[in-house]
Amino acid sequence: MKTPEHFNFSQQSRREFLWRAGGGLGGIALAHLLGQNELLAETKPSIDLNGGLHHRAKVKRVVQLFMNGGASQCDTFDYKPELIKRSGEKFDPGEKVEAATSTPGTIMKSPYEWKQHGQSGRWVSSIFPHIATCVDDLAFIMSMATKTNVHGPAVYMQNTGFVLPGFPCMGSWISYGLGSLNQNLPTFVVLPDPRGLPYNSKGSFSSGFLPVAHSGTIIKATAADPIADLFPPTSAKNITKASEQDGLALLNKLNREHLAQHSGDSRLEARIASYELAARMQTSAPETLDISGESEATKKLYGLDDKATQDFGRNCLAARRLLERGVRFVQVWSGMAGATGNWDNHADISKELPLIAGMADKPAAALVKDLKARGMFEDTLIIWTTEFGRMPFSQGSTGRDHNGGTFVSWLAGAGIKPGTTYGQSDEWSWKAVNPTYCYDLHATILHLLGIDHTKLTFRHNGSNRRLTDVHGEVVGEILA
Amino acid sequence: MFCQRQWLFLFCVAFALTAGAEDTWWSLKPLRKPDVPTTVSGKDKSWPRTPVDQFVLAKLQEKGFHPSAPADKRTLLRRVYFDLIGLPPTPEEMDAFLKDKSPRAYEKVVDQLLASPRYGERWARHWLDVVHYSDTQGNDQDRPRPNAWPYRDYLIRSFNEDKPYARFVEEQLAGDVLFPDDPQGIVALGFIAAGPWDESSQVFIVEDTVDKKIARNLDRDDMVMTTMSTFVSSTVHCARCHNHKFDPIPQADYYNLQAVLAGVDRADRPYDLDAKTHQMRQTLLKKKRALEEAPKTAKPQPAELAAVEKALRQTLADDASIWIVLNPDSFTSSEGSTLTKQSDFSILSSGKKPDKDTYTITARTDLKNITAVRVEVLTDPSLPHQGPGRQDNGNFALSEFQLMVADKTVLLQNSTADFNQQDWAVEKSIDKNPSTAWSIYPEVGQPHFAVFELKEPLENNGSAPLAFTLDQVHGGSHLIGRVRLSVTTSPLPLRADRYPYAIIKILATEEKKRSDQDRSMLVSFQELNPIEQKLAALPPPRLVFAAASDFTPRGNFTPAKTPRPIYVLKRGDVTKPLGLASPGALSCVSNLAPSFGLSDTNNEASRRAALARWITDQKNPLTWRSIVNRIWSYHFGRGIVDTPSDFGHMGGLPTHPELLDWLATAFQESGGSIKQLQKLIVTSAVYLQSSDDNPVFSKTDSGNQYLWRMNRARLDAESIRDAILQITGKLDLTMGGPAVMQFNLEDPNPSNTPIVDYNKFDVEDPKNFRRSIYRFLFRTLPDPFMDCLDCADGSQLTATRNVSLTALQAMAMMNDRFVVSQSGHLAERLVKENKSLARQIEAVWQLALGRPPSSGELHDFKAYAAKYGLANACRVLLNSNEFIFVN
Repeated sequence: MKTPEHFNFSQQSRREFLWRAGGGLGGIALAHLLGQNELLAETKPSIDLNGGLHHRAKVKRVVQLFMNGGASQCDTFDYKPELIKRSGEKFDPGEKVEAATSTPGTIMKSPYEWKQHGQSGRWVSSIFPHIATCVDDLAFIMSMATKTNVHGPAVYMQNTGFVLPGFPCMGSWISYGLGSLNQNLPTFVVLPDPRGLPYNSKGSFSSGFLPVAHSGTIIKATAADPIADLFPPTSAKNITKASEQDGLALLNKLNREHLAQHSGDSRLEARIASYELAARMQTSAPETLDISGESEATKKLYGLDDKATQDFGRNCLAARRLLERGVRFVQVWSGMAGATGNWDNHADISKELPLIAGMADKPAAALVKDLKARGMFEDTLIIWTTEFGRMPFSQGSTGRDHNGGTFVSWLAGAGIKPGTTYGQSDEWSWKAVNPTYCYDLHATILHLLGIDHTKLTFRHNGSNRRLTDVHGEVVGEILA
Repeated sequence: MFCQRQWLFLFCVAFALTAGAEDTWWSLKPLRKPDVPTTVSGKDKSWPRTPVDQFVLAKLQEKGFHPSAPADKRTLLRRVYFDLIGLPPTPEEMDAFLKDKSPRAYEKVVDQLLASPRYGERWARHWLDVVHYSDTQGNDQDRPRPNAWPYRDYLIRSFNEDKPYARFVEEQLAGDVLFPDDPQGIVALGFIAAGPWDESSQVFIVEDTVDKKIARNLDRDDMVMTTMSTFVSSTVHCARCHNHKFDPIPQADYYNLQAVLAGVDRADRPYDLDAKTHQMRQTLLKKKRALEEAPKTAKPQPAELAAVEKALRQTLADDASIWIVLNPDSFTSSEGSTLTKQSDFSILSSGKKPDKDTYTITARTDLKNITAVRVEVLTDPSLPHQGPGRQDNGNFALSEFQLMVADKTVLLQNSTADFNQQDWAVEKSIDKNPSTAWSIYPEVGQPHFAVFELKEPLENNGSAPLAFTLDQVHGGSHLIGRVRLSVTTSPLPLRADRYPYAIIKILATEEKKRSDQDRSMLVSFQELNPIEQKLAALPPPRLVFAAASDFTPRGNFTPAKTPRPIYVLKRGDVTKPLGLASPGALSCVSNLAPSFGLSDTNNEASRRAALARWITDQKNPLTWRSIVNRIWSYHFGRGIVDTPSDFGHMGGLPTHPELLDWLATAFQESGGSIKQLQKLIVTSAVYLQSSDDNPVFSKTDSGNQYLWRMNRARLDAESIRDAILQITGKLDLTMGGPAVMQFNLEDPNPSNTPIVDYNKFDVEDPKNFRRSIYRFLFRTLPDPFMDCLDCADGSQLTATRNVSLTALQAMAMMNDRFVVSQSGHLAERLVKENKSLARQIEAVWQLALGRPPSSGELHDFKAYAAKYGLANACRVLLNSNEFIFVN
């Protein structure tokens, strides 16, 4: 099934190449506009490498679903018979046990039923009935680990590779490395939970020291003003469609005369072009977010008919529509910052987890199914991540504290070997055996995009900075 | 985090091996004043106006370039205004300058601008970029820092006063110890605290965990990085993790620098505006500290201890004796908890444990003229952790506490408690906000009490009982386990916090279970009381968020009594300490000893003082090159070294090394006068050049690094915003004071980032008309309008701002409510001041661009304004490239 907007990929590549190489509106000006000044990334995407920088790309666009708060691995995907058997016993793995915010409690089995699913026989608990139906399309990394047990640093780490603020996130790096696939939408879009921003607020989708053109553009899919300042305020009665059209023409004339008097400065041209791009965005953004043309079946698939799932569902559907129109990187957040309304289930797993999991399960599964059905698995990667996992022992009597020792991420789509599992945690689901860090996940994602993660660098404050710092190994086992 | 530090290694190796200047990395070579080149001949012979020009011209000739013609007067005035004060000249100022034909006309303007209070506001803003200042903590608990702004005002004042640079540096690192009589020496320490602070890790993460150690290590890392990149353009922070291939000394240097800052944290620190009060307070505090530190060696004698304890207990007993415990007649739970009266008249809650609950307790008393109520929350073996709460961790949350008599609310005020949980103080229980409450974590397993004064004494003449309601609606079963109520008729004020909680805790501990430290604390507390009283009698101090070694603990965030031991960490891993580091500076700066040789290693302030002196030493080549290059970079849009905070191997090389050294030494000779340096720069022929392109020269030097023309600049976010306000006549030039929030703030939970909404803020609020430097800077929630104009991000050090041109920026300039509303104000102003539409158009051209419109422009804008209104025409003009760029 193909929608009318569906991209013709080879044509798209050509357009992308021209765009990058200086076709269309005037090369250098555009490079400025898209933040792709030739002084920045040294290597350009190559048509021969299917848009990759260093080797052939399998993926052109990425959607990341981020479960904010620390999704419990031992209540979802990481089945450990030992926890069930010894539930209630003292947790004594033979080394010092620390919990970030509490005193460690006793071993606590998951309150959910475990079952194997699909051909791959992947264990999934009853908390994710919909994702369970997709397991044969997913590749699980069961050995994810992080270097901190604190939300702020951990969310930074999963996004930027560093536990400190000020570093560019993966979406920004990809935007910087590969640039735009479209001429009327941002390159990197963030769809926050409508209830609020995640931990670190906008810090997690900042471009850090990369130019601000690479930072995530926040889109509120259901708001009247989905992108900040997309339209003039409705309160300004002096502004009409005609005043805008003629005003932009007048501005253009004024700027062109100014340019004629001050030749040789590409920035002046770039700024003229930026108003043209803005005008195109005014048309394309609302069109992209208008789901009235989607079939009832699609809306139902994403759970738009159910109050619990409609928010995250709407964002997942918007993500698909943005990807279809050439947005390079879309990040969809489940869960806001704070003590509740997210995956940070300290007090009671059996009460808190179903609320948030019930919001995310069906839409996440829908996105996998929908992208696959539309043929977008050809060049689109979908990732499901969180900042850390949760402890196999209790906090209080029914909650779980933060656990950077092990958690689960899964990937699907282009370049991914479906139905695979990589890595494992120890018998308790306490610590990963041979941990996989964000560096490895990021390296793998860049690899699929045709980027050697050691070569995508930006000189800042004394270092050639990388998304993966000095670490990172591509997880070849999950690649097709 | 790991980063490359090869350059540092190379410095050290190069220096150690050769000990000769010729192989030393350029920035480490000793500073010597070069001769000014005088070899100029030919058509550019008369071009130089200053020594700066001689150096630049020599390089131009070497490369085969010629300087550009000078800019016209209009262009020049607009340039120097934005450059020095961040605002455009008014039409009157432009007119006066054009009319002034004297040869000193321009110099006079420069002097005026350097003397303008607006100058400090402009240049302090650059400094805030460099040190990544914000008004919030950053990270996931991005809480406001209500007391950060005094440091911002200190910077504005320092630039306006043209403070000698060495003193400026020394104050920011060690003003409290090097200039003890000047209260501004404390405010300046806002420098060390300017960067982000991980509140969640520092306050909430359990002590002695790896996460806590990481948080402290990274916090110091930020301090070291900020200090060394700001003052000496060194990226020493890249040596935090050891690379086995290289010599380990640089890593030791890094940890030696961490050791310099191992005794301070970031916290609110008291200071006085008035120097006399400041000196009195400092003397008392010094005595207090001496007493606090003394007992560590002297063990109190049992007799002395007994006497002290007796006196302390007597005061508490006297305090307690005024309370009459109420015997409840009725007690109900709205949610079905089982409440039972105990023999001591307390009420114990048991049985069903609801999520939330409200207890209603009534009691009668014969007492007349009741002045206050006491609420005791008591322990009980049946409660988790002995209580006093029913939550699993022993805590409770008293959301709202109310007293009614005969259906009339009795007003309560001045509530105090023996202990308050951080951000959950007892006043939250009478703030009529059910989402805040009084809690006591982590001091569970202990009884606590709170006192509420009655606003008016309760006569209590009738027969109606006192009816107390205790709302506990926080959720998660944060319920009181055992509660007892009392009243008193004693005169006000009455308080529950007679002693710090630490003292209460020691008193509650059996004598034989006390440590010697506990005993000493009791004695010294008794000695300290008179000093405390004198301190309390001083006018209340102001607070500045700054480096502090003494502050009120919050949760797990406590001051270091003595500097924390710093170890060199294997690969930067806190779990792998190697040798102990000792305070010191970089070992590869020639002529300067890296080690401080401090006599009192426990004196943390002396460590900072030593580093400050090391930095400001006239022999330190980095410091003086760094600052003149930094200043230069703001005037030209690019430094002589294009990486102003990085003079290492990974940074840029100087395009004009002799000029840089000449400027650095001339700057030293001037006593470190930034204003003199700037006057020299902006009156140079280099600066006066036109910014127009030369297609021939730009072929070989497209970046204009040799300065054959002036650089055209896109206005920065603050200049755009402030210029618009000035043009519309709305700019409020009030200086200083608390940061103005140009957003709507909701703060429902003191442990979370507040909800910040820029769209809900009324753009017509006069707060919106202040200069941009006074904006409240939210680290993780920056103003989207300023953000898209490349305003510095408080999460990172910004030596040079990126300049981007994006569609989002175009949308913001066209559609942001600020620009739209200011366009309206501009139109109103024009109509008020000018009769005809043509005059109005001419006036806006002068205001925004500093020139009259051409006849074509006038025609077009008249036609557009006639059709769509003047406000729309103004908005178009504010979006023009000519307004946004400075030639």
